[in-house]
Amino acid sequence: MSAVTLSVHVADIEKLFREHNRALIAFLQCRLNSFSDAQEVAQEAYLRMLTMDNREEVDSLRGYLFKVAGNLAIDRLRKRKVRSDFAVVQSQDEPVDEHRPDHHAMAVEQVAGVRQALRELPAKTSQAFVMHVIEGRDFSHVAQTMKLSERMVRYHVANALAHCRAYVDEKEGA
Amino acid sequence: MTYKQQDPVVQAAADWWVRLREADAGGEVIEQWLEWAGQDERHLETFERLNELAERLGGLDQVSRQGLIRAFARPAPPQRRWFPLAAAASIAAVMLSGALYVGWTHFAVVVTPQVVYQSGVGQNREFSLPDGTKVALGAASRLSVKYSNDQRSVEITDGEAYFNVVHDDRRPFVVTIGNMTVRDIGTAFDVRRTGERVTVAVTQGRVAISSRRLQVRPHSTLEATAGQRVTYDSDKSNFVVDIVTPAQATAWRQNRLEFIDEPLSVVVANLDRYASKPVHVADADLNALSYTGTIRTDAIDSWVDALPEVFPLRVSKQANGIVLSDARHATR
Repeated sequence: MSAVTLSVHVADIEKLFREHNRALIAFLQCRLNSFSDAQEVAQEAYLRMLTMDNREEVDSLRGYLFKVAGNLAIDRLRKRKVRSDFAVVQSQDEPVDEHRPDHHAMAVEQVAGVRQALRELPAKTSQAFVMHVIEGRDFSHVAQTMKLSERMVRYHVANALAHCRAYVDEKEGA
Repeated sequence: MTYKQQDPVVQAAADWWVRLREADAGGEVIEQWLEWAGQDERHLETFERLNELAERLGGLDQVSRQGLIRAFARPAPPQRRWFPLAAAASIAAVMLSGALYVGWTHFAVVVTPQVVYQSGVGQNREFSLPDGTKVALGAASRLSVKYSNDQRSVEITDGEAYFNVVHDDRRPFVVTIGNMTVRDIGTAFDVRRTGERVTVAVTQGRVAISSRRLQVRPHSTLEATAGQRVTYDSDKSNFVVDIVTPAQATAWRQNRLEFIDEPLSVVVANLDRYASKPVHVADADLNALSYTGTIRTDAIDSWVDALPEVFPLRVSKQANGIVLSDARHATR
């Protein structure tokens, strides 16, 4: 790329960042379940965009950005899985950081609200939700365990998530 | 049911959330989502709030996490009450073995003298018994041991102990705690006595637990296996069975006291076995509060200091110890 096209490209990427960064982070946080990981991956995705050498082949920069970010998220999840398999072996020696009750209080309060919200749901709905969101099982694993289709599992998880959000909002707003 | 009448934006956001979470959600799905997100300011905002809740719940501490999994993600509700009626099958088994047992005890019984093991406040001890059984004794605990050629009897009068038992069919290892007995069936297990409340946590193998108090319906025996915790409270006269990991059951050996949903009175009584200044609960109604969490035995003071942030209570430090009183009561 010549200096002129390069600076045009940089300007395009900056525009992309301004317009879509918030959605990109939301997308990545959904995938990674971690806001800070989402920020890191987004950063990396922009770097890849700046150094891309196939600009001519790409019709939609936005589509390409989300594709790159999605792939980076998959890599990160894979690495995280390797780390957590390793951590299981090590966890016996890990110090526990929950010994202060104030740290615990937050958790207890959240848990109490969510527990209540989950009780109001059909058993399958709360089971699918807890297995996926809290236990960290993927949809296919939950589907297998519960003998349901993945579509049904997603349906249950979505219902439970919406219900818990509404419940916690109501409580925090009150 | 209330959950059906959901705010449509929250519901739509949740539907998108589960669709986007799939690693194979393609460019088309993402494009549609971006379009939805761009339609109204509230859309993306609601989606973000779902992310935030999911992240919070995904990162819960181990104890809370395990509690929720136990309550919702296991098909059979594991937190169940156990009544003697359910033991019909094991009653027969116990009586049969009792009959055989008479045959063995017919021979002369050799009894070794009783030995008492005791530990001071804040001190855990570890030792082996004559048969090779390993014992870890918690702080301020007391254990008396009496071995004969037909039975190994251990009594816990105070505190907590963990046993890794060398199994011997002909010479059962029996732990007595007040009205309750725990008999080893190839086992490692932890027993804690807090006044009239006894918990038995099995980390390996199985134990048979029975209570004389429950023998209104005779010979009630409950078998507990590795990963189960049985709580018996003589006030309530029933067993409650739930789940515990070996690491949680023996955390005290690494100077951490773990409590899962236990009354404040029980927590404080066990804390006192490790505390340099005893903690005392002044108002009985505080004992109804239940606590789940970990307390480091080398940071008891900071745990106590932070208590008012969790419970409606007041901490006052006095010369002879720390007093917890109900903050809702008028100043005393």
